[in-house]
Amino acid sequence: MNMNLSSLDRRKFLRGAGVALALPCLETFADSARAAVKPVQRKRLACFYLPDGVPMPLEKDPSFKDWSWFPHGRGKDFTFTKCMETLEPLRKELTVFSGLSHPAVRHVHGHRNADQFLTGADTGAMDDHYQNSISLDQVFAAHAGEHTRHDSLVMSTDGGTGSPRGAHTLSYNAQGRPIPAEHKPKRIFDMLFVKSGPDAAHRLALSQSALDDLMEDANSLNRSLSKHDQETLADYLQSVRDTEVKVEKAKRWLNIPMPRVDTDLLKLDVTPDDSRNFLRTMYELIYLAFKTDTTRTATYQLGRENGVGISDYLARAVGYKTAHNLSHETKKPDGYKNFGTYCRFINEELGRFASRLKATPEPGGEGNMLDNTALLFGSASSAFHLSRNYPLILMGGRNMGFKHGRYLKYGQGNEKHQATSGISSDSGWRAEMDYTELPLSNLYLTMLHKFGVETESFGGSTGTLSEV
Amino acid sequence: MRIFATLLFAFLSNLALVAKPGDVPKAKLAAFRTRVEPVLKRVCVVCHGPEKQKGKLRIDTLDPDLQKGKDVSWWLEVFDVISNSEMPPEDAEAQLTDSEKVQVVDWLSGEIQVASQVRRSEQGHTSFRRMTRYEYKYALQDLLGLPHDFSRDLPPETSSVDGFKNSSEMLQMTAVQFAEYRGQARRALELATVRGERPAPVYYGISMKAASAKVDATYAAFVEKKKKQIKNSVITLDEALKKQAAKYALKLGSAHFKNLITDHGVRTHWSYGGAKYAWKPTRERPEVPAILDDVVVIPANQKFIIDLGDGLPDTGNMRVRIRAARLNDESKHLPTLRMYFGNQPSNDSRLVVKVGGPDVTIDSPPGKPRFYQWDVPLADTPRNAFRGIYKLGQTPNPGEFLSLRNTSSTPVSLVIDYLEIIAPALDQWPPASHTRIFHEGRTEDEKAYAREVLSRFMERAWRRPVSEAEVSQKMALFSKLRPQCEDFQEAMVEVLASVISSPKYLYLVRDGKEGKGASRLSDFELATRLSFFLWSSQPDEELMGLAKQGKLSDAKVLQEQTKRLLSDPKSQRFARHFTRQWLGMEELDFLKFDSNAYGNVDPLLVESMKQEPVALFAEMLRHNRPVMDFLHSDYALVNARLAGHYGLPEVFGDQMRKVKLSPEMKRGGLLGQAGLLAMNSNGKDSNPLKRGIWMLENLLNDPPPPPPPAVPEIDLADPEILKLTLKQRMEDHRDDPACFSCHSKIDPWGIAFENFDALGQWRDQIGGKPVDAASVLFNKDELHGMKGLKDYLLANRQDQFARAMAHKMAGYALGRPLTFGDRAQVDRITADLRKSGDGLADLLFLIVKSDLFQLN
Repeated sequence: MNMNLSSLDRRKFLRGAGVALALPCLETFADSARAAVKPVQRKRLACFYLPDGVPMPLEKDPSFKDWSWFPHGRGKDFTFTKCMETLEPLRKELTVFSGLSHPAVRHVHGHRNADQFLTGADTGAMDDHYQNSISLDQVFAAHAGEHTRHDSLVMSTDGGTGSPRGAHTLSYNAQGRPIPAEHKPKRIFDMLFVKSGPDAAHRLALSQSALDDLMEDANSLNRSLSKHDQETLADYLQSVRDTEVKVEKAKRWLNIPMPRVDTDLLKLDVTPDDSRNFLRTMYELIYLAFKTDTTRTATYQLGRENGVGISDYLARAVGYKTAHNLSHETKKPDGYKNFGTYCRFINEELGRFASRLKATPEPGGEGNMLDNTALLFGSASSAFHLSRNYPLILMGGRNMGFKHGRYLKYGQGNEKHQATSGISSDSGWRAEMDYTELPLSNLYLTMLHKFGVETESFGGSTGTLSEV
Repeated sequence: MRIFATLLFAFLSNLALVAKPGDVPKAKLAAFRTRVEPVLKRVCVVCHGPEKQKGKLRIDTLDPDLQKGKDVSWWLEVFDVISNSEMPPEDAEAQLTDSEKVQVVDWLSGEIQVASQVRRSEQGHTSFRRMTRYEYKYALQDLLGLPHDFSRDLPPETSSVDGFKNSSEMLQMTAVQFAEYRGQARRALELATVRGERPAPVYYGISMKAASAKVDATYAAFVEKKKKQIKNSVITLDEALKKQAAKYALKLGSAHFKNLITDHGVRTHWSYGGAKYAWKPTRERPEVPAILDDVVVIPANQKFIIDLGDGLPDTGNMRVRIRAARLNDESKHLPTLRMYFGNQPSNDSRLVVKVGGPDVTIDSPPGKPRFYQWDVPLADTPRNAFRGIYKLGQTPNPGEFLSLRNTSSTPVSLVIDYLEIIAPALDQWPPASHTRIFHEGRTEDEKAYAREVLSRFMERAWRRPVSEAEVSQKMALFSKLRPQCEDFQEAMVEVLASVISSPKYLYLVRDGKEGKGASRLSDFELATRLSFFLWSSQPDEELMGLAKQGKLSDAKVLQEQTKRLLSDPKSQRFARHFTRQWLGMEELDFLKFDSNAYGNVDPLLVESMKQEPVALFAEMLRHNRPVMDFLHSDYALVNARLAGHYGLPEVFGDQMRKVKLSPEMKRGGLLGQAGLLAMNSNGKDSNPLKRGIWMLENLLNDPPPPPPPAVPEIDLADPEILKLTLKQRMEDHRDDPACFSCHSKIDPWGIAFENFDALGQWRDQIGGKPVDAASVLFNKDELHGMKGLKDYLLANRQDQFARAMAHKMAGYALGRPLTFGDRAQVDRITADLRKSGDGLADLLFLIVKSDLFQLN
């Protein structure tokens, strides 16, 4: 552990220059300065998406007791089924939700809805005009991103953007454009922990000069304007200044040494063929990125919808050929059990990641890392292609005020999930449903408020959930 | 007419007063005390005095000094209601005599004119603003000579109170948007400029004979497979093939291949999986065959998909040439062809976008096909994200396709026998977009050449001559960047990008010269204002040339140039953007028709509805028709689809054209247009309130006051209320005193539209009861349906409408909200417009030559 003098000097220099820039609180630095610095209050968010829904047997089905995804009971008084019992050790750190979904696409086939899981947008059916909106994580990243080298980390098993209504990413920018997801562990690792290439430095240098020049244009124009018009141009001047601060920040990060991480546990050449290790590696990368405060926002789409693509192999970890088929074959012998076994594995790995965060004290802060990290896990369909009653788990974030240890049921008329269970044909998702659900965006808005993001609405929200 | 004459007289008599230099006019307070105040006291104070303040107005305490007082907006309101005969109400005890009315209106109009002039000279007015999103799109296209739309990711503009998107106070800039401008500037310049050798194109030459053979072969292979399978089975081949045979069997209603001699045919096929029907491009251009007997027949509303696999390049111009003709000439209608580009990587994801501009009418006679051509910029089209990652035929499938749709609204088929694609198709190398920036004659002296390139580009981009200092500043940037860049071009692209990310590019309308306050626009500023008004884009070479010679401000030259700009196809942008914003047509884009009430509403109908107001505007502009045609005309601009909707006979084809209307007043003008009626409905039923407010706000520029807080809602749970008709419900609501004052000014107008349903179709009954479209205005004038409404407007509101037109058009032309200070100018334009016969084009000329337009 060596003191990094250059970063200390830079910090001092910046303070002297009167530039308010957030600098990374590296572990090396934090350790040496702990006595002097008060605890850092970090807030983090990670979101995970499971495609193709979860097992939803009817109450009368023999597999209901063991293999329905949703727990039995409600409130504090609930029991996990075999699907979820791998999360039992984290029971006090999590909340399970039912009765939430995004209203705009309830009538759209579930396989088209991964796109809107974090946005709530009306992304429409097959041949509709396609328009998405900003995702939950990106709203948070815009708020928390200034503190870290990377605003956010966007990952998926399949990689890239995918196609409209066949997303390979959970994250969408302010214009509703997809942000391409990284899917190769080695690339992600290099991006996070290995010095970036000369091209980034080159682009930044060009940018800096161009900004100086535009500022000069703006100033010379400003001199010829009336007072009123100068107010109009002030927006432009401010935009250039804001951008300069961003470039300045990016440049500084270029020069700040990357955090050193232990790579012994990482298998960076792993592929989804080796599914359990692939999942673990992806989770581990998020863990390391959080621990080193390289970013505070991460999304990981475990798989794309409809089993098209390499993510379908994740089921191999528990002895099945492909994952998507399991959701189609629930009415075959052991169908729900097979599908449930796959979900159990997914939950197990999620729990493993959460436990790792829980076991790690917050660097330079209070509590453990899970206390300062909200983990959202879910899918945009419950039963077969049905875009309702999303299965959802929220974990961690105690220091942000999230209350846990409960199974919260929302909406009216579907308390036992009978309306949304036992579906195995496409007539199911097309059916008119005679019960109510709440907009999932109400949960998202609640989360944003706990993160300290001041906004009145998000993705079609109609309010907040006071219980959360 | 009476009021108009008064107004005009008052205006002219006051002009002289203002014109005298140094003579600051004073408010005519003495005249107010003797001639106006007693009248107001006698007639108005009962309801608007110390006892009652109906509509929150107390008239006896208003400050009669309009130049310095604070009650100008109240006086404008008083002026409007008295001159429109809305006040005093018919049932009021005290009424105005004609001479009293003239006295009040005369005094008020005079004071308003003078006060407006005085305030204008005291206040600063400014059109300094950022380009709108759509102006940015056109300006960059015109500057670079590229077809791409670089504005797609810019945030949408907010509309002003008047509905305009180019209004200076609404056009913001943020860091995110600034980043977008910088990103798009670089992208645009990289697409405009090229490097290296001419890229070798790929070719597709697809004869329908080969395409049809491909389908036949697939089916034959299937038959063979089945034959083997059933060897040991009990079912016959026919049984085994039943389902598949049906899939291939000729169905004349869908697109199908056909041999015109033998009549042999098979249905067209396409599948996203396996890339079974994908074509591979060649490096050599295939020879174009002689006209073939094997064709694909595309009936109306049917599509034909051609799978192009993953062989198209990323960028460049894709030229599609289609040899097509009509199937037969039995109908007077001509088929139209529309092209889509698309991909379907998996069964849950498909993206299909319209490309290649407006639909093409296929006019070649049967048996004599000719080539029709489309150019599609590939970089401007959403592409399959899996190209280069997955292999063709895998899932996700990286393939892309063209979908050709016969969009004719009547049952006429078209045939295609050969299709050719060249990508990239280049007319010259380097392309014109490159040489326009990097002109010929590059010398050894890199810096001298850079300076020349820059000053040429800056002058065009910034729409004015650039100073030595400005060029030197950009040269300094060049010198700084040059050592960091691979080559000359990379550095230049960076610098040029900064020219079009500069506020000097993005903001209108200063020419960089020092000078503040109200002054006459320079010739260059005038060129910019004129071209952004009529082309939504930058001035062309001719305008710039005239500005350089200082000739543009010459009245005659300016008039000629205005005419020239209007006759240029680029003026369609004006017709489109002004009309859409003026009428608030964005609502129509978001409207969803209730499928229970109307089934699936034909997209072609909705598209035609959106075109109709723009087409009427363009037609009126072209022929300088009186603006009163907007209120009613004995013609309409329709295509076959809309004509069907309106029940007009003998209209063929999908192009909008002028059609004579019979004398009854259902359609004609804007009020009876289906799109506008539909837009002001809720998609399920008519909405008289919305229609009334729309007419007052958008057409008459007389917006009703906003609803008061705590408006009681109509209780639809009450069974008694449910029994009422919509009109009765509105009357019931109106009887509530809290609602009465506003609604009595809105509802009667909207009720007059009741013969039109939410799709703008005429109806005589609603739910079995005859339509009641009769209503009584606030001033007790009666309206009887659409005809009554039109009659009333034409008889009583021509002045108001002309003034509203002038106001809206001037606001759009200036790109800023109009204030009280502009009122005198707008009134003058209105008066001149009415004198000259109300011509729409004349209105433009009047605005362009006005001080309003020519002063800063």
